Amino acid sequence: MKVTSALANPSPGEKTARQSIAWLSRLGFALVTLFFIIMFSWSSPVFLTLDNWSNLLQGSAILLIVALAMTLIVSAGAIDLSVGVAIDFGAMMALIALKTWQLPWQVAVLCALLGGLTIGLVNAFLILVCRIRPFLATLGTWFIASSAERIYTDGGGAIAMRRMAPEYHDLAVGHIWGVPTPVMIVFVVWLAAWLLTERTLFGKRVRAVGQNSEAARIAGIADKRTVFWVLIAASTMCAIGGIILSANLRQFTPLAGQSYLMDSIAAVFIGTAFNRQGRVSMSGTLGGVLFLAIVNNGLNLMGLNYLVKDALVGIILVVALAVSFWQARLRQQHV
Amino acid sequence: MNNEKTQRGLIMDRMSKRFAKVTALNAVTLTIKPGEIHGLIGENGAGKSTLIKILAGVYQADGGTASLDGVPIPLGKPAAIEAMGIRVIHQELNLIPHFTVAESVFLGQETTRSGGLLNRKSMRAAAQKFFLETWQINLNPDSLISQLSLAERKLVQIARALIDGAAKLVVFDEPTAPLEVHEASLVSDAILRLKQQGIAILYISHYLNEIASLCDAGTVLRNGEVVGYPDRATLQDTDAVIRMMVGRDIDKLFATREHSHIVTGNETPLLSVRALNDGQQLKDIHFSVRRGEIVGVAGLLGAGRDVLIDTLYGLHKAASGEIAIEGKVSRIRSPRQAIRAGMALVPRDRRHQGLVLPFSAADNINLASLPANATLGWEHRGRALDKARHWIERLSIRPAYPLIPVRHMSGGNQQKVILARWLGTDARLFILDEPTLGVDIGARSDIYECTRQLTEQGRSVLVSSSDATELLGLCDRILVMWRGALIADLPTAGLTLDMLLATINGGQEQAQ
Amino acid sequence: MSSEIQNLGARRLRVLFEKIPLILFVGLLVWLSIQSPYFLSWENISRMLLQSVPLAILSFGLVCVIAAGGDDVVSGGIDLSLPAIAVFGVAILSLGLMEWQLSWPLLLLAVVIASLLCGGINALLVLIAGLPPLLATLSTSVAFTGITELLTGQRRISVNSPLMVDFRDGSLLGIPYALLYLALVFIAFQVLLHHSRFGQHLQAVGGGKDMAQMSGLNVPRLTLASWLIAAIAAALAVMPLLAQGSGSSSGTATPLLMEMVLATFLGGAFSRRRVVTIWGALLGAVLVNALSNGLALLGVNIFWMGAIKGVLILVVLAASALQHKGKS
Repeated sequence: MKVTSALANPSPGEKTARQSIAWLSRLGFALVTLFFIIMFSWSSPVFLTLDNWSNLLQGSAILLIVALAMTLIVSAGAIDLSVGVAIDFGAMMALIALKTWQLPWQVAVLCALLGGLTIGLVNAFLILVCRIRPFLATLGTWFIASSAERIYTDGGGAIAMRRMAPEYHDLAVGHIWGVPTPVMIVFVVWLAAWLLTERTLFGKRVRAVGQNSEAARIAGIADKRTVFWVLIAASTMCAIGGIILSANLRQFTPLAGQSYLMDSIAAVFIGTAFNRQGRVSMSGTLGGVLFLAIVNNGLNLMGLNYLVKDALVGIILVVALAVSFWQARLRQQHV
Repeated sequence: MNNEKTQRGLIMDRMSKRFAKVTALNAVTLTIKPGEIHGLIGENGAGKSTLIKILAGVYQADGGTASLDGVPIPLGKPAAIEAMGIRVIHQELNLIPHFTVAESVFLGQETTRSGGLLNRKSMRAAAQKFFLETWQINLNPDSLISQLSLAERKLVQIARALIDGAAKLVVFDEPTAPLEVHEASLVSDAILRLKQQGIAILYISHYLNEIASLCDAGTVLRNGEVVGYPDRATLQDTDAVIRMMVGRDIDKLFATREHSHIVTGNETPLLSVRALNDGQQLKDIHFSVRRGEIVGVAGLLGAGRDVLIDTLYGLHKAASGEIAIEGKVSRIRSPRQAIRAGMALVPRDRRHQGLVLPFSAADNINLASLPANATLGWEHRGRALDKARHWIERLSIRPAYPLIPVRHMSGGNQQKVILARWLGTDARLFILDEPTLGVDIGARSDIYECTRQLTEQGRSVLVSSSDATELLGLCDRILVMWRGALIADLPTAGLTLDMLLATINGGQEQAQ
Repeated sequence: MSSEIQNLGARRLRVLFEKIPLILFVGLLVWLSIQSPYFLSWENISRMLLQSVPLAILSFGLVCVIAAGGDDVVSGGIDLSLPAIAVFGVAILSLGLMEWQLSWPLLLLAVVIASLLCGGINALLVLIAGLPPLLATLSTSVAFTGITELLTGQRRISVNSPLMVDFRDGSLLGIPYALLYLALVFIAFQVLLHHSRFGQHLQAVGGGKDMAQMSGLNVPRLTLASWLIAAIAAALAVMPLLAQGSGSSSGTATPLLMEMVLATFLGGAFSRRRVVTIWGALLGAVLVNALSNGLALLGVNIFWMGAIKGVLILVVLAASALQHKGKS
């Protein structure tokens, strides 16, 4: 048994210094975001227009959905590298349903969800039955599913459907009560996700398992079952993203979902900087996605070469992650 | 007269150490001659660990001096202390599983050729030679640590401290605690042989039988002070030693236990365990707990108390045997099944097994009864908070704000939170594993009171504790474990602390 | 020791289970050599060896990071940015030779400095900001790749410098320069990690941080060193990578990443101690390449290759993760 030595009491000077650092670090990210907004509005008159922000929100809809899915997974103490292929499978199943099987668009949506569900089931099988850790399991699902996509499309060609049912296409380009449909969809999903994690028992169980799965188990929480539902829910949510994606482009592009992986992980962890307790949360992730969207949009408006933009975004991502983890460390020491 | 010959060996003269308001050591004087095995005896909290940490260089002393072979010990400087020849063999092995014996022995003190290249041949040879010459054990220096038995690993740990030949004082902290009987004797024999090399040995152990067989002299600590220096003859008298450890003051923390709540007669016991065996440590455990009874489980570190608790609650796999609740045999393979059978566990590591630290007190209290505060999965926050407030008040949990994250609470209050979690459920058997470890006096009495109230409701309690006094005052019966087996089932009526301690430390049931 | 005897049966089963990836691999290779007689021809074998040079050197770097960080994939040491660092170096060299008209020594120095900077950034993120190595190197690999693409404009840059051509095609006493280079690098890393006191300390940090600390080792300094050494490995891989591709092309990093992870962990299955080793990584790299080579000879669809490699990674990593649970 370890004997813990009594800690020396911090001097009053030390205490206030630590408190102010913690306070600053919490504000820090909000300040950084504000700085970016100011910089972008200064460099481009278009930045602060309603039109631009409407574009911004619409463009980040898919990323937000994926990031919400990732938030759920991380809340449960895992990570999911297969979100990209879940998007793809959603889009793929929808296109196949519409084009090959000539089904009505509502059924196509259902098929898309089933596609995402499949990925979730594979993950669940690998993680819960084969007892492979989530990182490895979802890595494997990623590789296998992306290879499957390439094989199916004979090398990565898109499946296009010019004369797509307009209702389906509208899911991405239409409007509901003046609000772009994808934004509406995303809002509903976000609300549902927030309610799920903050107001239901399921959310409580997920967070308990994520924070201390051993204690949760001893208290009688069905940890395996909880993780199962988390995996299913996450992949199905990503499929919704796939629906919007395929509806927008009117085609299924294999491996299009890839680019959302890194950004969604980043958004989730950057989001911890916006949360009072420093944990991952749906509202924090919303902040993270907005941050990334603002940066992306602002850099785009600056008229930079897309390669310059990509490089800058990559660097900003690294810095943002570093800052959010560093201030979490500071906060822990303070407490 | 003392100037004529250098004072050889360890001399600690009136060492004192204070932490805030607590005096851990008060003017402790201890001497060990070279080639002497000196036992350090005392209950938990008597000051042994503090003494060890001073010798390891972790702490400075607040008063007094210490010297080895006449040279003052540079307290608080671990590297300098080690250079002087003082080695501490800690309880935890801390070996790297994929290293070889030779690599582990020489970690941090590798033999090198020019350019920093390892001289594996010489290290292998030296390691092998050491084991052979010191202990007549032929240990393959290329074996991996993961391939060795616990006793062999302990020997590697010891070899690491002695290989450079510069050790003058070696401190052994509970060296045989996690070992089986025959492995324990291997290690004790090994330590005996070190005497021949003229090394002074400080031997800390709760196993009084080992102290009796190995030590030439001893020092008994109680509450940070020395209460006696038993010689070899006195050490053989375990009762006398225990009397020194415990003194005549027993805490008046408990009211006389009324045994009237126990349901007598031929009623089926609430818990009945038969031939429980896990294939590794537990050996054929039989016992039962009646309704309304408080049964204690006592035993030294490594006696198997923790494995027993884990096996009962489904955290550890049983190889064979039967667990029956109210006559119904249940297969308990997971905590959920244990809970369904009517058990509740307050685990021994409240931070890592009991609480979800970032959660609030209310969330932690409601964690085992989530459906009770919800409709179809939708949480009724008001109801949950009210419930939490109810228990916070009942158990006097401070601070009395249900929304504060539990990580800010003191140990005692955290323990009460975990207890409160189960009080509202219909659990019938409460298993408390080290319930008052690191808990202040006030919270302790609250927890004891709560435990007693449980029996008034017809529920039963199984308490596993390393505090014999606590068990004596709280329980109706005490089960004593020794190296994996249940060796005694003692009713507390008429049981004295001496008898209990003698059984716990001596390994056999002592005649009354 | 009695418990050992009891567990002997269980242990034998576990040993067999751990060797599954190895058995799988060897089995696949045997099957391939039966299917295609050309597979084991001298010409093909030397081609396979040559192709595996950059992969092997990158794997050496990964081994160092894992050795010092512990082989738990998620919380331990891992560096996913090594291929990106190497590709960055290739871009610098290509551009420098073809467009900026700089001299070889200057460019090589630039490559080394750039790599060390990248490794330093990784170390900073892990040691100071406290990011898990997985997340840190995942994000830096994206950033480094972004910078590389910016530099090259996503174009392919063909290099025809005589020195490079010589390195690629020339040989000494019948042994291609690239293989000699590999031999030198291999010896250097093998000695550094497995036969020097420094390497022993690196392994101690990864094997048990508390133990290492208690033995007086400077854990932060050793961890920093491991990240920098890995970056140096990436720098050393630049030359063979450049020669292999005869220039710089975008998109080279990702397949290399998959193969590097596969080769390194596969190598772990060879060692008695079941840890990743330098020589194990070398063998792993050769085998992974042999697999790609053999499958290509059979005319297997390139996308099936990806799937097969993916499954293999899964099995190998799972086996190593499972044995990690069984340890201690």
